Amino acid sequence: MIRLQNIEKVYRTDTVETLALNSVSLDIAKGEFLSVMGPSGCGKSTLLNIMGLLDMPTKGEIRIGDNKTENLTDKQLAQFRNKTIGFIFQSYHLINDLKVIDNVELPLLYRSLSAKERKELAGKALEKVGLSNRVKHFPTQLSGGQKQRVAIARAIVGRPEIILADEPTGNLDSAMGNEIMDILLQLNQRDGTTIVMVTHDENMAKKTHRLVRLFDGSQVQ
Amino acid sequence: MIRHLFKLAWNKKKQNFLLITEMFVSFIVMFAVFTLMVFYYNNYKTSMGFDYDNVWVANYTPPQNITTTDSFQIFHQSLGNMVRSMPQVNDISFTSANVPFAMSTNSTEVSFGNNRHIRTNVYQTENDYKKVLNLKMAEGRWFTDADKITGKYTPVVINSKLKESLFGNTAAIGKIIREEQFDEVPPADKYRVIGVAENMKDKGDYQEVENGMFVAIDTGWMRNAGNILIHVKPNADAAFEGRLSKALSNAIGTSIEIEHLDKKLQSKNLLMLVPLIIALIVAGFLIINVALGLYGVLWYNINKRKAEIGLRRAVGASGADVSKQLVGEALVLATIALIIGTFFAVQFPLLNVFDLPAGVYITALLLAVLFIYLLVLFCALYPGRQAAAIYPAVALHEE
Ligand SMILES: Nc1ncnc2c1ncn2[C@@H]1O[C@H](COP(=O)(O)OP(=O)(O)OP(=O)(O)O)[C@@H](O)[C@H]1O
Ligand SMILES: [Mg+2]
Repeated sequence: MIRLQNIEKVYRTDTVETLALNSVSLDIAKGEFLSVMGPSGCGKSTLLNIMGLLDMPTKGEIRIGDNKTENLTDKQLAQFRNKTIGFIFQSYHLINDLKVIDNVELPLLYRSLSAKERKELAGKALEKVGLSNRVKHFPTQLSGGQKQRVAIARAIVGRPEIILADEPTGNLDSAMGNEIMDILLQLNQRDGTTIVMVTHDENMAKKTHRLVRLFDGSQVQ
Repeated sequence: MIRHLFKLAWNKKKQNFLLITEMFVSFIVMFAVFTLMVFYYNNYKTSMGFDYDNVWVANYTPPQNITTTDSFQIFHQSLGNMVRSMPQVNDISFTSANVPFAMSTNSTEVSFGNNRHIRTNVYQTENDYKKVLNLKMAEGRWFTDADKITGKYTPVVINSKLKESLFGNTAAIGKIIREEQFDEVPPADKYRVIGVAENMKDKGDYQEVENGMFVAIDTGWMRNAGNILIHVKPNADAAFEGRLSKALSNAIGTSIEIEHLDKKLQSKNLLMLVPLIIALIVAGFLIINVALGLYGVLWYNINKRKAEIGLRRAVGASGADVSKQLVGEALVLATIALIIGTFFAVQFPLLNVFDLPAGVYITALLLAVLFIYLLVLFCALYPGRQAAAIYPAVALHEE
């Protein structure tokens, strides 16, 4: 499903050059649930962003499904993200000025769907994460766990084949974290969604199919 | 997407309130400026209605030592004959001080039927006045010597505008007009219309056509004011002007002044343009301020919303989509401001606040709407383009 070959990422600022990823190669199968661990600053987010086509590697090649990605235009990349990838972030990244339902609809705005269809799909996605009773709330009126469930609903509303989750439980206590983890496991098992999850929690990682460890930009396991 | 933009604008109404107010105020100011400009432009397009090339005006203080009306009449006639006999002179007419493009005005109020208290300019003229200014008659005739025999009513020639004010579409010739001017005397039927002249834009290019009424000059009037309109031949030069001036002051015994109508027009136009120029300068400063403010706020918003921009990119917005969204948001705010502004602007024609034609207001309104949209578009385009260039991964990084 996702194939990374010799990915290298160098960040250049005026004064320093950071080698964030050093020759990382990864093959992720369709339907796999992969977790990524490693100390802070080792390049986990960078790896996820590159997989999600939010960032370009300095060197190396990414294939998603049967598609090579290096020659895609900005518009094609956007469409690709819209159709195939759902993102979940540690800090949720909800838009506070939009109601829960409108936040969930967001990916569908960039597809040609009617308002009614969007509403229906968003409603279903919220049902899946157990938030049907919070559609008219604003994000600021929700708890952290609820916010992350909204973010998950937003990630799955467009039925992507891949979900990329960057420390989805990082801001939550263990009970809430487990709730979120259960939803992700269910998505993987029932819908066959491929999931890549960055985590600091060994217990969470244990529940996934495979664990990749990074250290200073290199894959060590 | 448009619904989404309105939703965002509505949910952020508190933050947007100031921006909308700013756009609203700019709209109102531009509406006022455009109203003035359209009004002036419409006036400018209206034909002058008379010729002022090669027309001079001689201005003098009538001699105080002539005491009887008869002897004044003789003085007046010989003065006229002297000027008329000069080879460079075509025609002359003695007149009141409100010659074309002068600061002086002379007016009264007249009534006919239900059209009461209509203010009109009054011009004292002689038989040749029409020829001197090449006035055109719409109906009826100009004054002749026969009108000097005083009857019950004073014969008058009115302009087309006054005809419309008094008589609408009905005939004017032969109608009797009442004068309302003097409070002491009961208003009385006084004037009989003998002709309708075409409108004369005698206060400059940018002045609206006003009501006008011409009466034959009477000698009593002549003792107070001295003005001669002189239509000269094209070959009349400065040397001739000197000779004319000298001849006149010798005959009159006081100082005299000769002006050319085309020069008077220039200074009159300038004077009329002053309020417009001031309005343009004030509006210009305001608009520059608003533009900078708008630009700054949009720029600031983009930096504040980097995370949101990154997120939108992640869920499928292209750079162009982000740019379109930000410009679209600004245009939505402008639309709200313009709806409120238009509500206020249409009150002017509805309540007829300044007695301007509704067409002037409507044109000005459309121009102001267009102007505000272009201004907002202009201020939003560059910040929007910058937002499109933000790298999604970097944007998501920022909290
Ligand atoms: N936009 C950037 N410009 C410069 N350097 C960057 C940028 N983004 C990341 N880095 C650097 O690249 C390295 C890897 O960063 P990354 O965010 O991938 O780490 P991480 O493993 O996700 O850490 P954490 O667990 O704290 O989230 C770090 O040294 C970081 O400073
Ligand atoms: Mg990270």
